[in-house]
Amino acid sequence: MSIVPLEKPPSPGPPHRADLPVPAERTLPNGMRVIAFSQRSGPKAYAVPLIAAQLIVRGGGSAESEAEAGLATLTATLLTQGTQSRSAVEIAQAVDGLGARLDASSGYDAMVVSVTALTHVFGQAFALFDEVVRRPAFPQAEVERVRAKAIGDLALSYSNPSALARFVAQRVAFGAAPYGHPLAGTAATLATLDRERVVAFHARYFRPDNATLIVGGDATTEELFALAEREFGSWRAPAEPLPGRAAVAAPSPRARVVIVDKPDAGRTAILAGRVGIARRAPSYTAGVVATAVLSGYSGRLNAEVRVKRGLSYGAGAQLIARREPGLFLASTLVDHTKVGEATGVVLDTLRGLAATAPEPHELVTRKATVSGSFSRSIETLDGVAGVLGELALYDVPLTELRDYLADVEAVDPAQVQQFAAATFGELFVVLAGDARVFAAGIAATHADVTTIPFAELDLGRADARAAD
Amino acid sequence: MTSTASGAGIAVAPIDFTDRTLPNGLRVLLVEDHRVPSVAINVGYRVGGKDDPPGRSGFAHLFEHLMFKGTKNTRPETIDRLTEDIGGLNNAFTAEDITNYYEVVPSNYLETLLWAEADRLGSLAVTDEHFHTERDVVIGEYDQRILAEPYGMLDELVNREAFAAHPYRRGVIGDPENLRAATIDDVVAFHRTFYRPDNAVLVVAGDFDPVQVNAWIDHYFGRIPKPDVPIPRVTAVEPEQTAERTYTYRAANVPLPAVEYAYHIPPWRHPDAAALDVVETLLGMGRSSRLYQSLVYRLRVATTAYAHADLREHPGLFSLRAIAAADVPLERVREALDAEVARLHDELPGDDEMDRVRTQIAASFVRSRQTYNNIAIALVRSAIERDDPGALNGDLERYRAVTAADVQRVARRYLTLAGRTTIAYLPQ
Repeated sequence: MSIVPLEKPPSPGPPHRADLPVPAERTLPNGMRVIAFSQRSGPKAYAVPLIAAQLIVRGGGSAESEAEAGLATLTATLLTQGTQSRSAVEIAQAVDGLGARLDASSGYDAMVVSVTALTHVFGQAFALFDEVVRRPAFPQAEVERVRAKAIGDLALSYSNPSALARFVAQRVAFGAAPYGHPLAGTAATLATLDRERVVAFHARYFRPDNATLIVGGDATTEELFALAEREFGSWRAPAEPLPGRAAVAAPSPRARVVIVDKPDAGRTAILAGRVGIARRAPSYTAGVVATAVLSGYSGRLNAEVRVKRGLSYGAGAQLIARREPGLFLASTLVDHTKVGEATGVVLDTLRGLAATAPEPHELVTRKATVSGSFSRSIETLDGVAGVLGELALYDVPLTELRDYLADVEAVDPAQVQQFAAATFGELFVVLAGDARVFAAGIAATHADVTTIPFAELDLGRADARAAD
Repeated sequence: MTSTASGAGIAVAPIDFTDRTLPNGLRVLLVEDHRVPSVAINVGYRVGGKDDPPGRSGFAHLFEHLMFKGTKNTRPETIDRLTEDIGGLNNAFTAEDITNYYEVVPSNYLETLLWAEADRLGSLAVTDEHFHTERDVVIGEYDQRILAEPYGMLDELVNREAFAAHPYRRGVIGDPENLRAATIDDVVAFHRTFYRPDNAVLVVAGDFDPVQVNAWIDHYFGRIPKPDVPIPRVTAVEPEQTAERTYTYRAANVPLPAVEYAYHIPPWRHPDAAALDVVETLLGMGRSSRLYQSLVYRLRVATTAYAHADLREHPGLFSLRAIAAADVPLERVREALDAEVARLHDELPGDDEMDRVRTQIAASFVRSRQTYNNIAIALVRSAIERDDPGALNGDLERYRAVTAADVQRVARRYLTLAGRTTIAYLPQ
C-alpha cells in the first residue's frame, strides 16, 4: 500500500581486528605455571590502572567422590572466610581498605580464586590473595554457616523447573561419571561434609604443581612475573603425587525420555541433549557456531518454538565443553499442554541442522553473535584473564585468544553440519513439570520413557532415583 | 606496586573525547579507543521523570519503551534485531533528568546503529495497538517493581514526601492511573517536544575511524531538522525545608520494618558533591563501612544499612536506609542511625579511614572505566546532569581533595534534623 520509499539499514563493513594482549608464560621452580599479560595504554587504546589475577587449581567438582558432592564448592567458598591470621570480617575489611575484589568459586574441572586491585596497591591485594590460597583456616563456625546456607539454597534451585531439569540431564548424560553429580551437592551429601574433609580437599589440590596463575593488566609482563615469583616462589609441593582422575565412563548415548513429575511446577522445562565434545576437540569452534545457529532470538530454535508457533517465551542451545566431553543442551520452557508439540519441534530442529548444511548467509549473522559477545567479554581485565584461564585449564594454546575471532570466521557450512550430524543423534530428553498433563502423549510417541516423581528424585544417585 | 593504600597514588588518564555540536543542535562526543573491536553508542535526551506532562506521571518512562516500537522505516523491535542478532546488546533507562538509549555492537556495525538511532529520533511511528500493548507492559512493570518487590514502594514515598514543590516528588515510574489516561496523542506530542536534536547528546565510544564516523553522523543525524519552538524546562524551585517531616506507612510485602532518612542536598554540579560522595562511601560502601560495622555487625540491630548521595541535575537527596533485624524495634535502629549521624557531626574521621574511603571510591571509579559503554554512559550523564561532560575528568582529583574537615562540614550543613524527611515503613 505504501508508496513512500522506506529506508533500509546500512550494511555492516568488514569485521575489524584488534591488538589483543599477547600472553607470556613461565613455570616457577615449584611447578606453578604463570601466564602474564600486559595491558597498558597505547595510542588511542586506554587501559585503566588495574591489575587482575586468577589462580586456577585443577580438581573441582569432578575430583569429588559421589559421597562428597558439593565439597569443591564448599572449600572454595570458605577460602575467603578466615585465614590463620585473619577472621572473615578482617579479610573483608582488608579487601575494602585496598579497594580490591577477592572471590573464590569452583567449577567441575577447577577451583578459581580471583583478585583485582588498583596498580599501586596490587602488591598488598596479591599478598592477601596468597594468604587465602595457602593459609586458609576454615573456622568451624564458618564451615557450619556456609554449609547451612548451601543446603538452604538447594530448595530454591529445585523449585525452578529449568534448573531441576539440568540437574537431571547431568545424571542422564553422565551417570556416575565425574560430571554426573550436582556441583552444589545434595542436602544429604552436604550434611556429611565437615571441616576435616574441607581441610583434606584443600591440602590435596592446592599445591603449586597443580595451579596456574593468570596475572595481567597495568604492568609489564616482567614486573608481573617478578611479582608472581616473589609471592608464590616459596610455595612447596608436597612429596606425594597428585591424585589422578576417577576413570568412570559415561553411559552410551541413548534416545530416551526422562520425566520428572512435579505437579506444582508452573511450566514444564524441556531439555534435549547429549554428551558433546571436550574443549580441546578439533570440532570445538564448529560446535560453537552450530550452537549459535540454534540460539538467540533469531536462532533456529527460537524461530521455530516461539516466533512461528508461540509455544514458549524463548528457546536456545548451549555447548558446555570441558576437559572431558561436556554437554550439548537445547532448552525451552512451555505450558504443560504444549510439551508434546514443543519436544517434537526441538528435536526436529536439531535433526534439520544435522541433515542439511546451513546457507552461508545464515552463518554470517550467527557468527557475528559469537564474535560480538567474545569481543565484549574481553573489554575487562577479568574477562581477558577468564579467557586465558579457560585456555590454560584445557591445554589449548594461548594464541587462541588472538586467533579465536578468525577461527570463528573460518568455520564453513559443511563443518557445522558435520558437528550437528555427529552430536544430534541418540538425544535424550528431560521433561520437568506436571506429568499428568503430558505423560500419556509422550508415552504414545516415544519408546523409552522413564518417569520419576519429584518425591523420589535423588540427585545423589547415578540414576537420580531414590533407592526403594 | 608496593606503596601503601591511599587514594593519593592513583593516576588515571583523562577520558580523551572530542566535543562538537551539529548545526541542528545535536551535541556529539566521541571517544576513540581500539583495545577491542567493539563500539558503544549512547543517545541521551534531556528529559526524564521530572518532565512528565501534567496528569501523566510516568510518561517519560513509558515513552522510553515506545522508542522500541517502530518508525516510518522499521518494524517494532528492529533495534533488538540489529543488536542481539549480531552479538551486541541494547537497552535504555529513564531517570529523573535523563532518558538514555544505548547499544554495544561489533565495530563494523557502527553505521547501521547510527542510522537506527537517527531513524527513531527523526521518524518514530507507533501504532495505537503497539501503544496500548506497551502501556500494559509498563503498568505490569509497576506491579512487579513497586508493588510486588519488597520495599519497592519506599523510593516512591521518599520522593513524594521529601519534595513539596519540585516535580521530583512524582518519581520516575509514575502512577498507573495517569498512564491509563495517556493516549497516542500524548506520544506524538512528547516526541515532538523533547525528542529533537538540540535536546540530545550522542556519544560513540570505542573502535572507529573518527573521519568516517563524523561523516556518518553528519549524514544520518544532520538531516533531522531543529524545531524553532523552545523546549519547556522545569523551573520549580523546592523551598528550603525548615522542620523535620515524619511519616509512617504500612504496606504489604514488608518482611521487616525499615526506616529512611532523606536529606536535601545541592545539585550534582555543586562543589560539595564530591564530599557528599565521600560521606556515602564512608557510611555505606562495603563491609568495612560505618553503617555495616555498627548497625549490622556490632549492634546487630539491622540486616542491611545503606547510604546514597542521590545527586541530580536539580537539588537531590541524601538517603540513609536501614532494615531492622528480626525482633528488633525500629526505635533501636533509629538510635543507631542517629548515633552515626551525630558521630559525623562531632568527630573528624581519622587519616586511616579517609585513606580507605578515598581508595574505595577511586577503585570503583577506575573499575567502572573498563568498558566502552560505561565510559559512554558516564559522559552522557555528565553532559546532561552536570551540563559539562568534561567534569568527569576532574572527579578523581575532587575526591582526593576532600578532607576530613570537608566531611564534617557537609554533614553539619546538609544532614540536619530540620532538613530531614523520616519515613518508618512497617508491615501491615
